[in-house]
Amino acid sequence: MITLEHLTKRYGERLAVDDLSFEVADGEVAVLIGPSGCGKTTTLRMINRLIEPSAGRIFIDGTDATTLKPEELRRHIGYVIQSVGLFPHLTVAENIATVPRLLGWKSDRIRPRTSELLELVGLPSSEYAEKYPRQLSGGEAQRVGVARALAADPPVLLMDEPFGAVDPLNRDRLQAEFARIQRELKKTVVFVTHDIDEAIRLADKIALMREGRLQQYDAPEMLLDHPANKFVHDFVGADAALKRLGRVRVDRVMRTAVPRAADGDRTAIDAAACSPERFVYLTDVAGVLTGWVDCRVLDRGTPPSEAETPVDWHEAAVHPDASLKEALSRMLALGYRAVPVVDEEGRLLGDVSLMDVERTMESGDAHMDAPGKGGEA
Amino acid sequence: MLACAIVALGALLFGVGHAAENLTHPPARVSVGAGAWLVLVGVAIVWFQGSRLARSRLASTVAWVSAAVLTLSAVVWGGLGTTGIALEYGQQDVFWILTVNHILLTLAGTAIAAVIGVPLGIWAARSRIVRGTAIPFAGLVQTIPSLALFGLLIVPLTLLGLPTIGTVPALIALTLYALLPIVRNTYLGVAGVDEAVVDAGRGMGMSGSELLLRVELPLALPLILEGLRAALVLTVGIAAVMAIAGAQDLGTLVFLGFGVQANDLVLLGALPMVVLAIIADQGMRALEREFVSPGIRPGREEPA
Repeated sequence: MITLEHLTKRYGERLAVDDLSFEVADGEVAVLIGPSGCGKTTTLRMINRLIEPSAGRIFIDGTDATTLKPEELRRHIGYVIQSVGLFPHLTVAENIATVPRLLGWKSDRIRPRTSELLELVGLPSSEYAEKYPRQLSGGEAQRVGVARALAADPPVLLMDEPFGAVDPLNRDRLQAEFARIQRELKKTVVFVTHDIDEAIRLADKIALMREGRLQQYDAPEMLLDHPANKFVHDFVGADAALKRLGRVRVDRVMRTAVPRAADGDRTAIDAAACSPERFVYLTDVAGVLTGWVDCRVLDRGTPPSEAETPVDWHEAAVHPDASLKEALSRMLALGYRAVPVVDEEGRLLGDVSLMDVERTMESGDAHMDAPGKGGEA
Repeated sequence: MLACAIVALGALLFGVGHAAENLTHPPARVSVGAGAWLVLVGVAIVWFQGSRLARSRLASTVAWVSAAVLTLSAVVWGGLGTTGIALEYGQQDVFWILTVNHILLTLAGTAIAAVIGVPLGIWAARSRIVRGTAIPFAGLVQTIPSLALFGLLIVPLTLLGLPTIGTVPALIALTLYALLPIVRNTYLGVAGVDEAVVDAGRGMGMSGSELLLRVELPLALPLILEGLRAALVLTVGIAAVMAIAGAQDLGTLVFLGFGVQANDLVLLGALPMVVLAIIADQGMRALEREFVSPGIRPGREEPA
C-alpha cells in the first residue's frame, strides 16, 4: 500500500504539487492524470525520491519512505519511463539483471529470472536475451523496460507515461499486455499518463490533477458518472458511454460458438446455420483465420465459393484482451457488424457483434469489469 | 587491394635496393630519390584504403607481417641495406636508445595527462565552474606554440628548482599538450550520455559511483579512447620538437641531421616517428575494438 500525506513540492514561489493526499491499495493501479504541468510526474518522482518533497510524507507498506536511503528505497520500487532508458552498452539480459545485480543476487539466480521475465513480456528469451537495445523496435524496447522494472519482483511499480512514445497500434498491444501482466502479478502501481482512454482502460483508481491540486480520486466509473466538478467533467469528455466500453475486455462478451469451415470445407459452409447477423469463418487446418463468408450474400443465392472473402487477421480481427471500444471502432472502420477474435497466432477464438456491444452498454456490465480484477482469461 | 599494396611495396623496396647496390661505386652514398618516396606514398594510400575495406582481422595481420618480412628481406638480400639511411643507421649506435626514449616520453606524457585529464573531464561534466575553466585552459595551452611553451616553462621550473632543459620540461610540456583531447573528450563522453539512461539508472537505485562505473564511463569509453588516441599521436610529433630543449629522442637525430645537412640522418629520425604514430593510432583502434561494447560501436550492426 502506498499512502501520500499532504505531499507538497515548492519550486520557489510556485507550488508544483499542493497538499496531495491519497492512498493506493495493494495490487491496485492508480493512474495520475491531468494536463501537462499539473504535477503528476513530480508526484511520481517524489515516491521514489528522485525529487525530494518540500512537505508531507510518503508511506510504502507502512514505512516512511524518507527514513530509508534513497538508493535502498529505489531498488525495491520498479521504475519505467517513457523514454525507456535502456543501457545501450548492455545486452537485453544484462539490462534486466541491473537491479538483481545491485542487490547482489548470484548469477545462477539471475539467469533463469531474466528468461522468465522476457517470456512474461512476450519476447522469447532465446531470441532476445543477447540483443543490444539498438537492435530493438520501440515496442520491444519498452517491453524490456517493463521486464527490467519487474526484475527483482518489487511490490511497487512506478510508470511514467510508459507507452507514450510508441505508435498507437503498439500502444494498444502494450496496454493489453500490461493489463494481463498486472492481473497475474498484482503489483501496487502508480501510473502517469495524459491519455484519458489509457487511464480508463488500466486504472482501478484515477487521480485527476490540475495545477498541483487533486481534483478527484475515484474509480474510473465514478469519474465518468459522477464528476466532482466542471473541470473533471470537461476533462473526461462528453462520450462517457463510449469510454466505458474501454473498460470491458472482448473476452468477457465474445461468442465462442461461431460457425466455421476449416480448410475450404464447402459442406461445412452450407451446413452452417448462417444467421444474417454474422459470418461463417474460414480457417486453415491450424485454425488460423483466413477469410469469411458473408451470410447475407449466401441468402441471395450466390454460390459459397464466390461469397468467400479472404481477410488478413492482423487487420480484420481483434485480440481477446482488446477492449470493446477497440472492437467497436474496428467494426465501424471496416463497415461490418461483427469482428472476429483471434489469439496471437491468428487462430480463431470467436467473434463480437454490434449487438453484443449494445447489450453490454444496456446491462451496465461495464461497471463491473476492471482490468485489475477478475482472475480468469 | 591489400595484396596489391604488398606486391607494390615489395617491388619498390627491392627495386630501390637493387639500384642502390649497382650504383655504389662513384658516389659514396645513395639517397632514396623523390620518385621512390612518391611511389611509397602511393603504396601507403592503397594500403590504408585496403585495410579499411578488409573486414577480417586476419587479413590485416597477414598484411602487416608480410610487409615487415618484405622490408627485412629487402634490407638483408635486396641491397636496401646499402642506401644512405641504412648506412646512417649503422653509424648511429644510439638509434635504439633514442627510439625507446621517444616511446617512453610519449607514453609517460599521455599517461600522466590521462591520470589528470579523465577525472578532470568527469568533473567538468558535473560542474559548470570546472567546465568553464578546465577546458578553455587546456585549449589555451594547446594554442601556445611548443617552442614558446618551453620559454614559458623556464620561470616556474626555475622557481621550483627543477631543471629547465632535458626530460623534465619535455614531460611537462607533453602532458600539457595531451591534456586537451583527453579532458575534452572525457567531458563530451560523460556529458553526452542520454539523460533518460541516467534517470533510469538513478531510478533503479544506482549510487553516484555505480552510475559512473557501470553506465557513464562505459558509454563514454569510445570518446575517451578517441581522446587518448589523439593525444598519443599528437605527442609522438611534439616529442620530436622537445629535442631542442635537450630531450634525447628521435628529434635529436632530425635536428642533428639538419645541422650537418645530412638528409639521410633526418630521415633516420623522421621515418621511425611516422611508424610510431601509425602504431599508436592502430593500437588505440585495436583497444577500441576490444573494450567498447558492441552495443555502442559505430557502424556495421544494423538494427533488426
